[in-house]
Amino acid sequence: MYDRRKGDVVNSSRCANPLAPGLLADYWLEELPMTDEEQVEEHLFSCADCSGVLQGMVDLIKAIRELTRKGLVAVTVSESFLERLRGEGLNVRQYRVAPGGGVACTITDQDDLVISRLAADLTSAKRVDISQCDAEGNEQSRIRDVPLTGARNEVVFSQSTTVLRALGKQRLRLKLIAVDDSEERVLGEYTFDHTPSRS
Amino acid sequence: MLYSIFMESAGPLQSDRWEDSDLARMVLSSPPGQARDAEDELYRRLAPRVRLYGLRHLRDEQAAADLTHQVLLITIETLRERRLREPDRIVSFVLGTSRLVVRDWRRGAIRQERHLQEFGRSVPVMTTFETPELDHRQLSSCLQRLHERERSVLIMTFYAEGTTGEVADQLGLSAENVRVIRHRALGKVRECMTGGRETS
Repeated sequence: MYDRRKGDVVNSSRCANPLAPGLLADYWLEELPMTDEEQVEEHLFSCADCSGVLQGMVDLIKAIRELTRKGLVAVTVSESFLERLRGEGLNVRQYRVAPGGGVACTITDQDDLVISRLAADLTSAKRVDISQCDAEGNEQSRIRDVPLTGARNEVVFSQSTTVLRALGKQRLRLKLIAVDDSEERVLGEYTFDHTPSRS
Repeated sequence: MLYSIFMESAGPLQSDRWEDSDLARMVLSSPPGQARDAEDELYRRLAPRVRLYGLRHLRDEQAAADLTHQVLLITIETLRERRLREPDRIVSFVLGTSRLVVRDWRRGAIRQERHLQEFGRSVPVMTTFETPELDHRQLSSCLQRLHERERSVLIMTFYAEGTTGEVADQLGLSAENVRVIRHRALGKVRECMTGGRETS
């Protein structure tokens, strides 16, 4: 039997027994046992409020897909996820950089996504942050605790195309930093010399 | 007729005072095709639910729209022909019909065109569904406020609609961990998008 209040409770619905958003997400992702799925559907068909909440979630998922396809979200991804995007015909520009290395980079009108592949030995790191620095190496912002995918030999990061298209000619530095308990150590520094595309 | 009594006594049908079963009774008690307002209101209420069911099971906008039209054609024809004996079970009937049609489509046993030709006479049709355009700039901002793991889990889950196990394998996390992160992240984004009017 499903617990309709599993997770937190819910929304501004007038429904007396609203379905929790986590349950609705599990339903949408086809991750409920058959009997629970049937009960959720019976509730959704009889309850305009809860079906409205699910519709809102579906609209949100659709918008997240659109943003992702347009490269408008900066996010760490996996290799298999990238393969899927390429398989859907997206133009994926990639820059693979070794520790201590640099690359001349750009973004064109034809590019849907720009991926930075930061190589490093991540096998012993408990937590890895990406430090975003200016040309002098001063940290401007930090992405904390990035997920480590695959063989733990690189971080695959999708840059926001909106941000990249707005950049002028400039040098950017990234650092991968292992954070272990109380100390930090730099796993690699990477230099990106960005030039706006003429296309 | 019961329908005219309803109409004279209660005012507009687009109101919460009528249950779905009341609308079904109005159609059942009227000559075929004479309770158009009740049919329209039933269609308006039930079409979004059938469409969601279709999207969930067929994963295709057009197929979901076709399913919606077909299920509600069958429903209204069944009411007009007074073959639904328990109007209180109208919602169960619609859900059951949705399940049967999807199952039959998967089996290829029933051609959709046959139903459209057979039942598609003078029945209301909702050809477009209003789905609000979300503010992409706001959504992008909400996504960027998430922790990196939350953002990765959310995007890798919902872009590909991959299973929890697949996402867990790709990110080196446990399935339960992915489920917890996904739930938390989804709640944060929904709250961010609604300005706190909803909680996760």
